[in-house]
Amino acid sequence: MAETSSHRRSEATVPTLIVAARRERDVRPHRLQQIEGTGAPRLVPLDREEFVMGRDEAANIRINSPRASRRHAFIRRHEEGFELLDNESRNGVLLNGLKVYSAVLRDGDVVQVADGVFVYHES
Amino acid sequence: MAMIVKFWGVRGSIPTTAQWARVFGGNTPCVEVRCDDAVFICDAGTGIRELGRDLARRSPAPKAAHLFLSHLHLDHIQGLPFFLAAVPDLRVHVYGVSDDDTSRQRLLSGELGAEFFPQNSSVPRASLTFDHLEEDARNVSGVRVKSFPLQHPGGCHGFSFECDGRKVVYASDVDLEAGLAGAKERTATSDLMTLRPVPRALLNAARGADLLIVDGQYNDTQYRAHMGSGHSSCLTATDLAIQADVKSLALFHHDPDDRDSDVETKVKLCLARTAKLGADLPIFAAREGMALKL
Repeated sequence: MAETSSHRRSEATVPTLIVAARRERDVRPHRLQQIEGTGAPRLVPLDREEFVMGRDEAANIRINSPRASRRHAFIRRHEEGFELLDNESRNGVLLNGLKVYSAVLRDGDVVQVADGVFVYHES
Repeated sequence: MAMIVKFWGVRGSIPTTAQWARVFGGNTPCVEVRCDDAVFICDAGTGIRELGRDLARRSPAPKAAHLFLSHLHLDHIQGLPFFLAAVPDLRVHVYGVSDDDTSRQRLLSGELGAEFFPQNSSVPRASLTFDHLEEDARNVSGVRVKSFPLQHPGGCHGFSFECDGRKVVYASDVDLEAGLAGAKERTATSDLMTLRPVPRALLNAARGADLLIVDGQYNDTQYRAHMGSGHSSCLTATDLAIQADVKSLALFHHDPDDRDSDVETKVKLCLARTAKLGADLPIFAAREGMALKL
């Protein structure tokens, strides 16, 4: 009898644990890890709606390079995570080595803005 | 005039929601070509639903869009009812490839009927206008649009879009080796030094394009196992791009069973082939949610 009761308690906690784990995963911010360029290494938690990448001193992710435009690109929250958007920059942005105008980011993507090279990590 | 190309659906045959296909995406074909304010849409696979939602969010919202259907197989039309519901104020021009081509009107009228899609007369949806190209070409909103035939069971067409010196070519669902002698032998050898023959109509249409989007569903082994299904080896697609002297190549219509890693392997195979042939050709796999500015 005691064993059955214990078994029931254990079953009841499983959904709760799953919900808690998923919630923790959902609220953990995605990150940009800079691996090359001035400022590397650094880890940028993507904990707001929009980030400006560029040479401008006010940029959220500053890239101190003459090849970077002042407001070179945006990282903007998207319903599937984050999106990379070129801001009509002079030298463009590369996603996994390909020049793109915009792209929804996926875990492990490599983003290059001027000399700055970043890896995108989902939570 | 800037030309922007965005991939909304890149998967062939049937949508996949598998986690292992998440990077390149699981929606069936839909590509948007934008020239300033003019919106052109290639195919209405499930990817077009998200395009519709995006168009509805744009400011100012476009009043019209021009839809070019390569053919009427399910994976190229199944998103249309959802698209029309997402953009109720939009006028959608659907183009046949000639003035007597009413196949699209007949079939889409059926697809949008109550037997196939729930109807609710109180919910507005975009209006459809059926139009056609004239002798395979037409100027639409300042863009030169041309169509050309593709080898695919039941018939298929590709489209090229040219504006302000830029050109993009869309050629989904094509067997580049169909009707050419020796296809099985060619794709069974690892001959990296001889360019494969390709269909002349497509070669001419693609010549000099800034971007060629073409069916590269299979590797050579898969191709030989699926000959007659109307799709191509990515290596033959690479040879087409080299011979047409295009500036970049997007492999498209990814196999529904291909994992992201399989798609990446195909790109590597193609890049190895271009390196062996001494060609300087950027090759990538079309990826849902990615846009390029030409």
